[in-house]
Amino acid sequence: MLQTFDTMLGKTSTALSWFACALIPCMFLMITIDVSIRTLGYRPPLFTSSVVEYALLYMAMCSAPWLVRERGHVVIEALIAALPDKVRQVLAKIIYVICAAVSFLFAYLCWGIFVDYINGGELDVRGIDMPYWLQFLPLPLCFLLIALEFCMYIAGLRSYYTYDLGEVKDGV
Amino acid sequence: MEWYESGGLLLGCVVAGMALGFPVAFTFMITNVIGIFVFSGGWPVLPQIADNATNLITSFTLSPIPMFILMGSLFFHTGLAIRVFDALDKLLGKIPGRLCYLTVIGGSLFSTLTGSTMANTAMLGSLLVPEMTRRGYSKKMSMGPILGTGGLAMIIPPSSLGVLLASIAQVDVGRLLIAGLLPGLMLATLYALMITFLLWKNPESAPSYDVEPSSWGEKIYQICVNILPMGLVVFMVIGFIVLGWATPSESASFGVVGVVILAVARRVFTWVAFKTSLQGTIRVAGMVFFILMNSTVFSQLLSMSGASRGLVGWATGFEVAPLLILTAMFLVLIMLGMFMDQVSMMLITVPIFYPLAISLGYDPIWFSLIVLMSLEMAATTPPFGLLLFIMLGMVKGTTLGEVAMAALPYLFCDLVLIIILVIVPGVGLWLPSLMGT
Repeated sequence: MLQTFDTMLGKTSTALSWFACALIPCMFLMITIDVSIRTLGYRPPLFTSSVVEYALLYMAMCSAPWLVRERGHVVIEALIAALPDKVRQVLAKIIYVICAAVSFLFAYLCWGIFVDYINGGELDVRGIDMPYWLQFLPLPLCFLLIALEFCMYIAGLRSYYTYDLGEVKDGV
Repeated sequence: MEWYESGGLLLGCVVAGMALGFPVAFTFMITNVIGIFVFSGGWPVLPQIADNATNLITSFTLSPIPMFILMGSLFFHTGLAIRVFDALDKLLGKIPGRLCYLTVIGGSLFSTLTGSTMANTAMLGSLLVPEMTRRGYSKKMSMGPILGTGGLAMIIPPSSLGVLLASIAQVDVGRLLIAGLLPGLMLATLYALMITFLLWKNPESAPSYDVEPSSWGEKIYQICVNILPMGLVVFMVIGFIVLGWATPSESASFGVVGVVILAVARRVFTWVAFKTSLQGTIRVAGMVFFILMNSTVFSQLLSMSGASRGLVGWATGFEVAPLLILTAMFLVLIMLGMFMDQVSMMLITVPIFYPLAISLGYDPIWFSLIVLMSLEMAATTPPFGLLLFIMLGMVKGTTLGEVAMAALPYLFCDLVLIIILVIVPGVGLWLPSLMGT
């Protein structure tokens, strides 16, 4: 049962991460077309900057659950690597529980904001006016998925930590 | 609550969370929730965290970050980077320590084509360390130049960290990127001089060996086919900014287009390479942006609690030379770098350091260069500098002490450049001043 749920969760997180990947070529194509039109002396579309700005947020949020699953969110393991095994295991569980709890909290808060903006009909004034709720559209779902991914760590399906300093995770 | 108590609470939560092994982004999320309960109205204000968190990253100035990372990934996964190194290798001929010089030249070139320090170090290490070991280079001579040159991507434009720093500190991105060019090239020259000095002291550390001589025709062919076309990418990124055709945020997208054009022209652009590059990009950019989202509120909390203002007032209240405070900030960055990654270091220190630096009369662009140089040094500082661990992962059977010792001469070069920047600020500010005119 748990395995089936985890598989479904994994497929959803991965699908969202591919959506985030797809946003990157969309962004650079839009920007290059916009600049080219401008350089040729024509008037570029007004929506480029607004759409790219929103795409950055969508990219961050849609990749976040997959990054939790893939242990992609950077952690500093150097100090806890020195702790005894038992202590590390207990500490890891506490961390998973806190991270899951705070993610559930954010999912709940973002859902509230999303509903408020839909009801209020407020506009985000940028290159073009965007409905504010669009900014919060991915947040409740993605935070919920992040929380569920941490729940899989709590259930003991995976461990976030390697405790191997030889393995260096990606960074800027 | 006094400013030092509120600052201590917020910074203490972040540092303790990171030390305990919380993912960095979640450390900020948790600290923000605690901060809202302590300094603000608690539950009713809590939704404000989520509302504010989206503000910073929906900013067009951050768009170059995924683009620069994608540029580097495409270079690596399409095999264009390896072709450049092969070409440079043929050009250098039989000079003592040729692989060390190849590291500096190739690494500097790659730094202008990608903005990622980790990618630069990993690529240089995976390409050159096995060859250096096979040729009998000492560990010091094989690892040192790579550790030094790998960090050049942090300062030579385009620099992802530079864009990030400019966005967080609200400094002109274009000016900061251009400002890094001259110091970056000077640093590469200092590295080459350091290699020459080390070789003069101990010629056996990099024994010379016979190389198959290349004809002038072949050398010219290599330059024309593999090196000069890279100028297209450099021009599309840096040239477009200087000529005013595109803003720094826009020119990064042209850089990606440039790499794609080159890869298509060389018939190395494949769907698999593109897909792998995109996935690599989202892995890094997604992680950085998620941290950024959550750290924005942290900066606001620091400011709202009075911690930033209190610290600035306290630090500027002493009758000490501004240079002493600059040295203290530099030392804090180096110390943080001993156990923290660059992005986290920036997010913690920028909200405190920048108001302080500006109140002391320092130019924000110049100060950003000092911060970037400090971050570069911190990445190579034992015991937990990230570049040291990349090298440790690549050179089997070596110790952290050996890697750190190999990096030491190049850290000295970094320090020399910082001193030059302090004495002659024009080194960093001359190129941006040309942009203004």
